[in-house]
Amino acid sequence: MSEAEIKPHAGAVKFTMLLSGLVFVLMMALGLIMRAAQGEFIELDPALFYQILTAHGAGMVGVAGLSGAAIMWYFVGRYVQLSAAMYWAFLGLFLLGVVLILSAIFLGEFGGAWTFLFPLPAIAGGAWEPWAAATFILGYVSIGVGFLLYYLAIGYPVIKRYGGLARALGWHVVFAGADPADGPPPTIIAAAAVTVFNTLGTVVGAAVLVASLVHLLVPGFAVDALLAKNAIYFFGHVFINASIYMAVIAVYEIVPEYTGRPWKSSRPFIIAWSAILLFVMAVYPHHLQQDVVMPGWILVMGQVVSYLNGVPLLAVTAFSLGVYLHGSKARWDLGLSLLVLGVGGWSIGAIPAIIDGMLVVNKVMHNTQWVPGHFHIYLLLGEVAMSFGFMAWLVRKGQASEAGMSTLDKATFGTYLVGAAGFTMVFLISGALSVPRRWAVHLPGWILQDRIGTLFAALVVLSTLALVLKYAVGLGRGQRS
Amino acid sequence: MQTLVLAVTLALMILLAFVFYRVVRATNADRQLGDTNSRRSQLIWVMLAVGLLVTVASLREWPHALASGDAAIQVNATGGQWYWEIDRSELPAGKPIVFNLHTEDVNHGFGVVDSEGRLLFQTQAMPGYVNQVEYVFDTPGDYRVLCMEFCGVGHHDMLDEFTVVAN
Repeated sequence: MSEAEIKPHAGAVKFTMLLSGLVFVLMMALGLIMRAAQGEFIELDPALFYQILTAHGAGMVGVAGLSGAAIMWYFVGRYVQLSAAMYWAFLGLFLLGVVLILSAIFLGEFGGAWTFLFPLPAIAGGAWEPWAAATFILGYVSIGVGFLLYYLAIGYPVIKRYGGLARALGWHVVFAGADPADGPPPTIIAAAAVTVFNTLGTVVGAAVLVASLVHLLVPGFAVDALLAKNAIYFFGHVFINASIYMAVIAVYEIVPEYTGRPWKSSRPFIIAWSAILLFVMAVYPHHLQQDVVMPGWILVMGQVVSYLNGVPLLAVTAFSLGVYLHGSKARWDLGLSLLVLGVGGWSIGAIPAIIDGMLVVNKVMHNTQWVPGHFHIYLLLGEVAMSFGFMAWLVRKGQASEAGMSTLDKATFGTYLVGAAGFTMVFLISGALSVPRRWAVHLPGWILQDRIGTLFAALVVLSTLALVLKYAVGLGRGQRS
Repeated sequence: MQTLVLAVTLALMILLAFVFYRVVRATNADRQLGDTNSRRSQLIWVMLAVGLLVTVASLREWPHALASGDAAIQVNATGGQWYWEIDRSELPAGKPIVFNLHTEDVNHGFGVVDSEGRLLFQTQAMPGYVNQVEYVFDTPGDYRVLCMEFCGVGHHDMLDEFTVVAN
């Protein structure tokens, strides 16, 4: 089958992005409620706060993964024939997982945070029943099985079409001296790498989920807490990073429409993705730097790889974007603006993350609000921006050469940028002032920062709502097929 | 430490944001870029060199090092839902103190802040393990212990205090 005959499942992807947009707004509203409660604008029972915290974390990580997966599906679908049935099975399992997780949280009062750190789900101090924890874990398992199906549905046809995994990763260009022009397109290289590391991440996550489930049913069965912590952070880190690495495919595919310059699978690009494949899996110990019983070399690896991880991002992805845009005379619209913002936010957010990955800094910054500070930058101004850029492009009027931004688009984009930048800066400043993360009730000295953060959060929610409405209206008008 | 970290971070973030701003502005540039591969290589080498220097400088003294032998005063601290038990309420200033962290139930984070609320150090308390962290208090006064790892519905209530007295 030729590439011209292959059609992405646009309808399924558009539906998924609509769902994603709505969930993003909803989860942001939960975030706003938490900041408002910390700032004492509203009163919230701590038990409910931690339930909201759990829903916000699980929901945001889940929907980041979902939107990234939809983007990757859409563009991989330009090169290989994918199975629509597998996609719907993935989406069905994902939604089943969402129902289970929401039931566990809001019916079962589970509030163990999205990281479900062993053995917290089983030792709740009376806050929730074991069935609620089990339901929450089963929800994760359902989503995990869905993602495994998804990667099977992507990986098999990609490997078949491109003659093996190594060739899909472009290794014949790097190691066998093949012409880069004979390498796979950037989307395929990215998809192959993400398929490998997120399959491994999901399998490790499934193992610790099942162990936690057995522990709930048979309390005598215990898992080593340090092993479980390693597994959870490996899974969590790989999964959330995969969402960004899937979403950046939208940049590879859409930006060339505006610049007229195709994104190429150059040797640096291929090497960068091979490095990403390794680094994404090797970097997770930077979450464990206060677990001093960990072997020292693993903690050093966490610091070093955390820094190295920034090299392909800045020197390849961000650098290439700059080169492709330079002098291209691209016409800016909401889609292109959000996609470029996504790469910018991701790159800038890597700086406080890398600095937090240093052992000496981590000692005073770990689990302060510095942490939500940096991950909100590369998610809110990174993955989420790229997802909304893709959505804006999906419903764009006309061609890239006719692109432009209306006053409403400019206002929406500006509000989102100011809101997200202000919101995340307050987190970073609070982190530097030693405010711990994940506290339902804040000390009096922290309230002012919480209130400022709340106001910026409100701007983010409003502008995101505008982005979702614009997308929904665009879908209703049937723009672009 | 925290002020320096914030200042360096913000400076780097502003610098990178400015670069992106220039990139966006350069979309309409007429002048072509020179050898971009060479510039990319230079960027990679600079990043690697800076990374190497910072890594060596920051790890030359192992951040989790403990005083050897009897030089340090041993303090046992145990976390539980939702309390701390510390076996000494007064500690001397100017002497290395090693905190041995235990937990009765789930993971907790033992974070110590000074009278101004500035976090001085932290480590995890984890089932089945004893985590050790050393600190020398220079200033007598009251210090507060916070929980730095989410541990359930009373997480924010896990506060305790101890006093550091002049030696």
